[in-house]
Amino acid sequence: MMDKSAYQNMWVYIEHDGKTVHPVSLELCCEVRKLCDLSGDRLIAVIAGDLAEDEIRRIEDCAIDGIIFVSGTGYERYNTEAYTNLFTVLCGKYRPSAVFVGGTTNGRDFAPRFAARLETGCTSDATEVVYNPETTDIEFIEPAAGGKIMAELRPQVGTIRPGTFKYAPAGRKEKIDILREEISFNTGDIRTKFLSFCEDEFDPELDIESSPVIICIGNGLSGGEALEQYRELAKLLGGKIACTRPLYDREILPYKLQVGQSGVMIKPKLYIGFGISGAVNHVTGVEADRFIAVNNDPGAPIFNYCDYGIVGDMDQVCQAMIQAIKANG
Amino acid sequence: MLKILACVKQVPDVDQMRMDPETGNLIREGVPAILNPLDANAVSAAVKVKETYGGEITLITMGPPAAEAVLRECLAVGCDRAILVTDRAFGNADTLATSYSIVSAANLIDKFDLIFCGKETLDGATGQMGAQLAEGFDAAQITSASHIMKIDTENGTLVVERELETGIETLEVTTPCLFTMEKTHYPVRIPNLKGKMAAKKAKIITLTANDIPGLDRARIGDPGSPTKVPRMFPPIMPEPGVILDEGSVDKTVGKLFGLLAADGCI
Repeated sequence: MMDKSAYQNMWVYIEHDGKTVHPVSLELCCEVRKLCDLSGDRLIAVIAGDLAEDEIRRIEDCAIDGIIFVSGTGYERYNTEAYTNLFTVLCGKYRPSAVFVGGTTNGRDFAPRFAARLETGCTSDATEVVYNPETTDIEFIEPAAGGKIMAELRPQVGTIRPGTFKYAPAGRKEKIDILREEISFNTGDIRTKFLSFCEDEFDPELDIESSPVIICIGNGLSGGEALEQYRELAKLLGGKIACTRPLYDREILPYKLQVGQSGVMIKPKLYIGFGISGAVNHVTGVEADRFIAVNNDPGAPIFNYCDYGIVGDMDQVCQAMIQAIKANG
Repeated sequence: MLKILACVKQVPDVDQMRMDPETGNLIREGVPAILNPLDANAVSAAVKVKETYGGEITLITMGPPAAEAVLRECLAVGCDRAILVTDRAFGNADTLATSYSIVSAANLIDKFDLIFCGKETLDGATGQMGAQLAEGFDAAQITSASHIMKIDTENGTLVVERELETGIETLEVTTPCLFTMEKTHYPVRIPNLKGKMAAKKAKIITLTANDIPGLDRARIGDPGSPTKVPRMFPPIMPEPGVILDEGSVDKTVGKLFGLLAADGCI
């Protein structure tokens, strides 16, 4: 058995581009603070490479107890090898009890790999993290994986999707311990060489995280040609359309519109789901003030998650909604 | 010749799961098992590479004997041979134990230049397997790869596009390399009759734990898994919502909008 008490402090990896911190890192600091208050661990932010001073203040405002600043070669641009090596070395030296990494494309790239190198457990996309005082384990609640997952070894590594936890900074602590480490990774050993980056043009239609109204469309949709009326309804309600995984599988809508535990997490005021069965992965990605479900199958699980449901043909209901809004001017 | 490995998984079709109207629990029995959808795109990418640059594609999966079906499905679209890793001893494995088991089995058969995986599975959806397999193979990795642009088979280098949240990154990478594939450029292939016939007759290489010399039993199955799912709690089903029915669609929608307006939601 592993001596768990030899592992102390919970870490949050701070993802940044030199200028700004990724919001998920701040969300994690705020949530992991609560775990640390229960467990007695200290909350440490790990920052590799140079980061603007005022951004460091924002991290400190999340009631962290310390920062490990890492300098050295290999961190200028994200790459699997340098970041995997960094956490392997740091965890070996300081033995944290847990390491939290934002579930971004890059976070999901290196976290499972350094966990594998350390031969410890890694979880992804938990929607809730709970400290169990009896086992001293963190329980990662993952509805889509069938329940809760316990990581029995140390450190416990978890990636968490952006938007899962709230950004609610608890204020700066009087004393913040600063550690500085130099861990260099030979840039010649990076097996993926960066050639170029082509930024996507910003498409407001794909920015569904902040939309107050979401018209979400599921596998009940007959085909791409039936989409237009849902776009119209979204526009009339001041919202945007989104979808469930099968519509991405059918190549009707892009991945960036996929709502769910392995897609985008949304918190709209109003959510109307059309033709959605209600797979756990999808509904755990939705936290709406009002949740409306429309489906022609009265046995669809989605009706268990809604505030109000309508059993009926999705296109007909959509048309009736458009007419009703237009009639009321 | 490029040695290509494609990793696939058989998963329950979660979209087919219904709810027990009495208990509110999801019914898992009788749900059809299918090839993980994104694995089909990864196989397409492997086949495209083989068509363009030559090579041999080996498929691998770990699962119950019935998982053979997904191997045959992939053989039918242009893969050359298939490995089924199957043994009760591999059961209850998390991603770490699974990656160790698959790497051990694959290394027994060949040394691979390129390894293709789907981005994530329908059932677990951890998206961790790719990175953990790459660690086991000591290979470079490109997760969320969207396009294999160019392969220099002489020097063992590739130019690959990777999909990030804000754009496309282009990388040069050396073999061995593992890719978890986005589906963008690799639509699922439909097998022709010849492919189906060949796949039906193909011999599957079956490996049990005993067939893999030096396999560390402490690193497979339940004992080798540092993460545990202590119980499959039936997903907590909230109470059903209020079903509105005013006799006609128009009236029902009118009722709904009235309720939403009263709540200040529209």
